Amino acid sequence: MALIELEHVEVHYGDFKALDGVSCEIDGGSVGLLGPNGAGKSTLMKTLLGFNRASTGSVRLLGHEMPRGALQVRQELGYMPEREVVSPKVSAVSFLTYVGQLFGMIRVDAMERTHEVLNYVGLGEARYRKMETYSTGMLQRVKLAQALIHDPKLLLLDEPTNGLDPDGRLEMLDLIADIGQRRGVTVVLSSHLLPDVQHVCKRVIMVQHGRVVEDNSIEALTAPRDGQFEVQVHGAQASFLDAAEKLGVTCVQQRNELLLLQVPEGASGEVLFRAAQEAQTQIRHLEPAKSSLAEVFMEAMKTPPTPSDEDAA
Amino acid sequence: MPVYTRSYRNYEGTFRRRGRWMLIVEQELRILVKGKIFQFLCLGAFLHWLLRLFQVVAYDVIMQDPNHPMAAMLQQAKFLTVNETAFFDFLRIQAPMVFLICLLAGSGMICNDVRNNLMEVYFSKPITWRDYALGKLLSLVFVGLGFTALPAIVLVVIHNLLAPGWETLTTTIWWPVEIAAFSLVIVLPFSLGILACSAVMQSQNYAGITAFMILVANGVIAALLAGFLQEENYLLLSYPMSLDRIGQAIFHQPNPVFNLGWGWPMAFVAMVCLLCSVIITRVVRRAECAP
Repeated sequence: MALIELEHVEVHYGDFKALDGVSCEIDGGSVGLLGPNGAGKSTLMKTLLGFNRASTGSVRLLGHEMPRGALQVRQELGYMPEREVVSPKVSAVSFLTYVGQLFGMIRVDAMERTHEVLNYVGLGEARYRKMETYSTGMLQRVKLAQALIHDPKLLLLDEPTNGLDPDGRLEMLDLIADIGQRRGVTVVLSSHLLPDVQHVCKRVIMVQHGRVVEDNSIEALTAPRDGQFEVQVHGAQASFLDAAEKLGVTCVQQRNELLLLQVPEGASGEVLFRAAQEAQTQIRHLEPAKSSLAEVFMEAMKTPPTPSDEDAA
Repeated sequence: MPVYTRSYRNYEGTFRRRGRWMLIVEQELRILVKGKIFQFLCLGAFLHWLLRLFQVVAYDVIMQDPNHPMAAMLQQAKFLTVNETAFFDFLRIQAPMVFLICLLAGSGMICNDVRNNLMEVYFSKPITWRDYALGKLLSLVFVGLGFTALPAIVLVVIHNLLAPGWETLTTTIWWPVEIAAFSLVIVLPFSLGILACSAVMQSQNYAGITAFMILVANGVIAALLAGFLQEENYLLLSYPMSLDRIGQAIFHQPNPVFNLGWGWPMAFVAMVCLLCSVIITRVVRRAECAP
């Protein structure tokens, strides 16, 4: 049984279809939820939490049907919302202790856990100050800490690096990667920032117009493309290309000195060395061409919207 | 400190499942008592209670002792008599104070949670919307009863201690029940009304002003109707007057503020409570659709 199972899930906000037949399974590890703003990532997160009711399809988390089993699921789930969360009149210690108690911990345990998780997220002595005095980075840390206080099995993070400076962003990503890898927590990270997802996740689910348009491991998505090579030659590039064309090689893309070449089916990179020999040039760089996650993302985002999206627009 | 040198332990304790609304009450009260304005209002309410304590002592100790030098003077002051009317007056005078305290405590309770995105955080924990709504409501009700029923019942106990005997006990035996009932009639609708304003408004100030204006406008409209139409029963539409009428019925007071029976104002108060409950429920359920 997978931790998260979604089957043909549709969620509507009035007439607008925010999720359109989403199906996927998540069974552990760190999974990135990628998509541009308004693609439906946050709606998907909220549907997983039981804040949205699916109009069709089924949502199961940790074996419980949502939103019916929301209370049991939330006992083992941590959620870091996208928007800034602040309880202005209390300190982070007081707020987290309260949150721990809401999970059912006794006050002493909640207080102890509060200090442990605040140490973990790196909130120093500021933890005793009122939260209204915190910077965005501190509030992000408190948000992560409140999601971790009860030691969840599953962590849903919605844009966790929002508003952070480069150092803070890296530290936050390191923390999330650590939670996923070292502590074995299943992490679902929603973001529109590809480097964030690449830093933390092994698998990505790309969402566009409320639909899953790509669902695969990052390794598979960025695997070397069949018969395509990146080549850089020293000498006459034009004569190399002529010689390569005669051997059935096609030039897919030319960026300054770097060529992206497609060799004929069944041929290997050796054909390029032959072309270089015939053109009396030297190959200085040769490697199988790979798609970057950004290229895969851009390709996936070309998915046309459904008529209902156009109506809403 | 680099991340890899930090960690936290797995939680191996147990999770309690019941009574999460009590945690919300506890947290709200903890935040409230730290407020300076709240402490100031507490002082005001306490001074009133001290005056009433003086009244009880004067009546039970001085006026009952014919040899006391002040007895003759105090015999003239009929308003010092400790009876049902004294407690009715005590609660009537506490009512505006309770309204102000509930306004201070409750006007930001829901709208601040919405504004600070705390609802999303709370409802991602295993609490139900009932826990949330009940916790918020009861924190206001407990504060209100702390300024009405509790001090009044303490005064009844002191009265019984200072004037012991079966006669006092039999006379006052139902007073705590009457006090609790009237206190609840004052506090519960105020709490629900202020929470409803907090639920529909976007800021604490707007919610507070709205609740205050509704109360004032309601009283003025009822008074104008009663004045222009020469019919005092229109005072039923004034919320404070309705409360007064119910109080008069509970404490067996003569000369009611209007002639309609207590059932009418009670129905009016119940209707207000119901309407406010519906508003609160709708707003909270908008954030949380789980059962």
